[in-house]
Amino acid sequence: MNKLTTDTTHCFHCGEPNPKGTTFNVNIKGEDRRMCCPGCEAVAQTIVDSGLTSYYEHRSENATKVTALIPEQLSQLAHYDLAQIQEDFIKQNNDADVNEITLTVEGITCAACAWLIEKQLRQLPGLLFINVNTTLHRVVIRWSKDQLKLSRILTEIQKIGYKAYPFQINQQEALYNQQAKSYLRRLGLAGIATMQVMMFAIALYSDFFSGMEEEFIQYFRWVSFILATPVLLYSAQPFYINAWRNLRNKTLGMDIPVSIALLGAYIASAYATIMTTGEVYFEAISMFTFLLLLGRLLELRARRKASETSSNLLRLLPSMATLIEEDNESLIPAKTLTVGQIILVKAGETIPIDGTILTGGSNIEESMLTGEHLPVHKTKQESVFAGTVNISSPLTIRIEKLAHHSLISDIIHLQNSAQQNKPRIEVITDLVSRYFVGALLIIALFTYIGWSLIDPSQAFWITLSVLVATCPCALSLATPTALTCATANLNKQGILIKQHHVLETVNKINHIVFDKTGTLTHGDFVLLSSTIYSHFTKQQCIDLASQLERVSEHPIALAFNKQQKESIQLDDVINMPGQGMQANYQGKTLKLGHAKFCGINNIIESKELVIYLTYEDTLIATFELGDTLRESASAISQYCQEKHITTSLLTGDISLKSEEVANLLKLDHVTKGVTPEGKLKHLQTLQQTQQVLMVGDGINDAPVLAGAHVSVALGSGTDIAKNSADVILLGEDLTKIATLYQTARKTTSIIKQNLGWAIGYNIIIVPLAITGHVPPYIAVIGMSFSSLIVVSNSLRLLK
Amino acid sequence: MSIIYVLIPIAILFVAIAVWVFFWAVKSDQYEDLDREGINILFDEDLDLDNRPTKQDKVSENDK
Repeated sequence: MNKLTTDTTHCFHCGEPNPKGTTFNVNIKGEDRRMCCPGCEAVAQTIVDSGLTSYYEHRSENATKVTALIPEQLSQLAHYDLAQIQEDFIKQNNDADVNEITLTVEGITCAACAWLIEKQLRQLPGLLFINVNTTLHRVVIRWSKDQLKLSRILTEIQKIGYKAYPFQINQQEALYNQQAKSYLRRLGLAGIATMQVMMFAIALYSDFFSGMEEEFIQYFRWVSFILATPVLLYSAQPFYINAWRNLRNKTLGMDIPVSIALLGAYIASAYATIMTTGEVYFEAISMFTFLLLLGRLLELRARRKASETSSNLLRLLPSMATLIEEDNESLIPAKTLTVGQIILVKAGETIPIDGTILTGGSNIEESMLTGEHLPVHKTKQESVFAGTVNISSPLTIRIEKLAHHSLISDIIHLQNSAQQNKPRIEVITDLVSRYFVGALLIIALFTYIGWSLIDPSQAFWITLSVLVATCPCALSLATPTALTCATANLNKQGILIKQHHVLETVNKINHIVFDKTGTLTHGDFVLLSSTIYSHFTKQQCIDLASQLERVSEHPIALAFNKQQKESIQLDDVINMPGQGMQANYQGKTLKLGHAKFCGINNIIESKELVIYLTYEDTLIATFELGDTLRESASAISQYCQEKHITTSLLTGDISLKSEEVANLLKLDHVTKGVTPEGKLKHLQTLQQTQQVLMVGDGINDAPVLAGAHVSVALGSGTDIAKNSADVILLGEDLTKIATLYQTARKTTSIIKQNLGWAIGYNIIIVPLAITGHVPPYIAVIGMSFSSLIVVSNSLRLLK
Repeated sequence: MSIIYVLIPIAILFVAIAVWVFFWAVKSDQYEDLDREGINILFDEDLDLDNRPTKQDKVSENDK
C-alpha cells in the first residue's frame, strides 16, 4: 500500500515518466518528490498545504495525470452558479437553504481518493454533508446555499486533481436502483429464513432413517411453516408479478411454472402441516426462492453498473449565450432565450439555438449534425443550428426557434419513434423457455389425470413433486448468470452493455453499418501532406503556417500547432475570417489561406481541404488537411471480411471522401449525403432482409442507432447517440466490436450448455417424479446441485 | 427435549431482529459502496501526527 518510493524517473503524483530537463518538485513529508508537469505539481502542493499527505501513504493506485487549469475553464465554472442553470440538477431539500447535488468525478482510482476529496471539501464553510462513492465515481454534496457557491465546490475538487461535473441520471438508472434495493431486501430475508428452514428440514430428514416422535415432527413442521411464510409472501413476489404479467400478455414465461411450483408447494405443505398428512416442501421452496433471487439480483446489478457508467458520461455543461440588447451584451443561460432575440456567437463557441445569421460570415462545423467532414461556410440570412460549432469568426444570430423546436429536438423525436419500432431478433432462450414451460405444464396435467385414475389420494402429491423436482431453477438461472458474467467481463474491457439482449443477438448480425465522420475517422483535422515549392524547408513552412494560425481558433490551427517545432517572429498578424491569415515576416507579406485569397490561379484538385502559403505573392507551399482514419478501422473491416459480414458506410457527407474511405477499408456498400431520416429509412430497408448492427457517434446517427437491431456508440460521441445505443465503447478502439462478437459467441455457447444440462437433468428426473419415486429431500438436493453446476459454468465467462 | 419449545421461539425472535437490521442497512445505503469503508479507518489518525487538525476541521467533522 505504501507508495512512498524515492523513484525520480516517474512522477510521484501520477506515475508517468518525468520528461527530461524538467524540475517540478514538491516537498512531501520532508523529501523532495519529482513531478512530471506543472499540473501535478500544483495538485501535490495543494494536498501538502491542506495537510492531506496521508493520501500518498494509503493510496493503492496512482492518481491520474492532471492538466493545468486554464483560467477560462475556471471562469466557466461560474456559470454553474446561475439559478436557471442549477435548476436542472440541484435537488432542493426540505430546508430551503440547503442544496443537494450528485456529481460525477473523473479520476477516482482508489479509496484514498474518496478520503482526499471529502477532507478537502470539509474545510469549506457552509458544507453540510459529503459522501464519495468510489464504486460509482460519484459524490453527493449538501451545502448551505447562502454560505457556499457550487462553483467554489467544483474548483476545490479541481484543485486536488479531480474533475467533477453535474450529470444527468437517466430514469432507467433510478428504476434499477430502486429495484436492486428491493431485490437485496428480498434476498436477505430469503437467505436468513432459508438457513433456519434448512436446519429444521435436516432434522425432519432424519425421520426417514431413524424415526422421530410424532410430536416433534409436527412442531418442526409448524416452525418451518412460520419461517417459510415471509419468504413466499414477500421475497418471491417479483415472480408472481412477472407470471401475472405474462399471463395477461398471453405469453409463456419462466416465471409461470416457478410461481405454480412455489405457490402449489407452499399451499400443499401448509395443508399438510395443518392436517398432519402428506409431505412438506418448505425448505425446497425457500431455497428455490433464494437461488432465483440471487440470479436476478446479479443480473440487475450488471445492468445497473452499465447504466451508471453511461449516466456518468452524460455531463451537463452549462449552455450559455451572449444576448445583445441595444448594444449591451449580457451572458444568459441558453434555455431562457426567446424567438426574435439576437445573440452573439464568438469564434470557437457552440451555437446554442437554431437561428439565422444577421451579420458576419463564418465557417461552421456541422459534422455532428450532418456528417460532413469539412466546415460549411455560411453568411447572412443562412440558417444555423443548435449544437454546431462556429469556427472562424463572430456571428450575430437572430433566434428563429425555441430550444424544444430545434433541429436537434426533431432528431430526438425521430429517435424516440425509431426506438418504439425497433425490431427484435428472436433468441434461443425465449424459444426454449416457451416450449419447456408448455411441455412442463402439460406433463403436470397428465400426471394428475393419470394418477387420479390410478390412486386419487396420491394424485395431488405426485403432481406437486413433479413440479418441484423438475423445478425450473437451473433453467431460469441458465441465461441470466451467463449474461451477468459476460457483461461484467466486458465492462472491465471498456464495453458497456446497456441492453442484455445484445449478447445473444450480436451473433446473428450479418451486416454492419458504419457512420463515417467521427466513427471510422477521428473527426478532426490533421495535416496529411505538404508540398514545398521553394528553398524553404518543409519544417520551416510548417512553422511559419502554425505561427500564423496561432491567433486563430479554427480547427485547422490545431492541426498545424501539433507539428510546430520552433516559434518564428511575425508582425502584424491579421485574421481575415473565411479567407485566411496574413502577416509580415522579415518585412515581407506572408499569406496563408484559400487559393483566391493568396492570388493563386492554378488550383489544386483534391478531395481534401487544400490551403496555400505564399511569401511575397509567390507560392512556397501547399498543405493538404483532412480527417484521418482511425487505426482500428481497418482492423475491424478486415475482421468483418473474415467473418463474412457485409459492411456498409452510411454518411451524411456528400464529398468524394466517402468513396475513398470505403475503398481504403474495402467496405461493401456506400450510401452518402443522407439526412437522419434518410439514414433511418435506409436502415429499415436493410433490416427487412438482414440483421443489422449500426456503429455511430453523431447527433444525426441517433435515430438509426435507436432503430437498429443492435447499435454501438463510441464513448467520444454525442450524448444523444450514447443514449440511444445498446452498447457504448469507452475509448476509441473499434476493434472492441470484435471483442464483443467473440464474447457474445462464447456467452451463447455457455447458455446452450446450461440449457442442455438443465433439460437433461429434467429428462432423467421427470419419469422418476411421475412414477412417484422422488421424496422431497432428493428433489432439493437435485435442484441445488443442478443450479450450482449452471452457475459455475457461467462463471467461466468472467475469465 | 421439551426445552426446544422455548429455545426455538427465541431463535426465531433473533432471526426477526437480524432481518430488521439487514433491512435497515439496505435502507441506509450501506451496500452501495463496498470498496471504500474498509480503508477509511486507516486515515484520520495519521493526520494528527503531521498536521494537527485545525478548529475548522473539527467543526466540519461534527457535521458528518
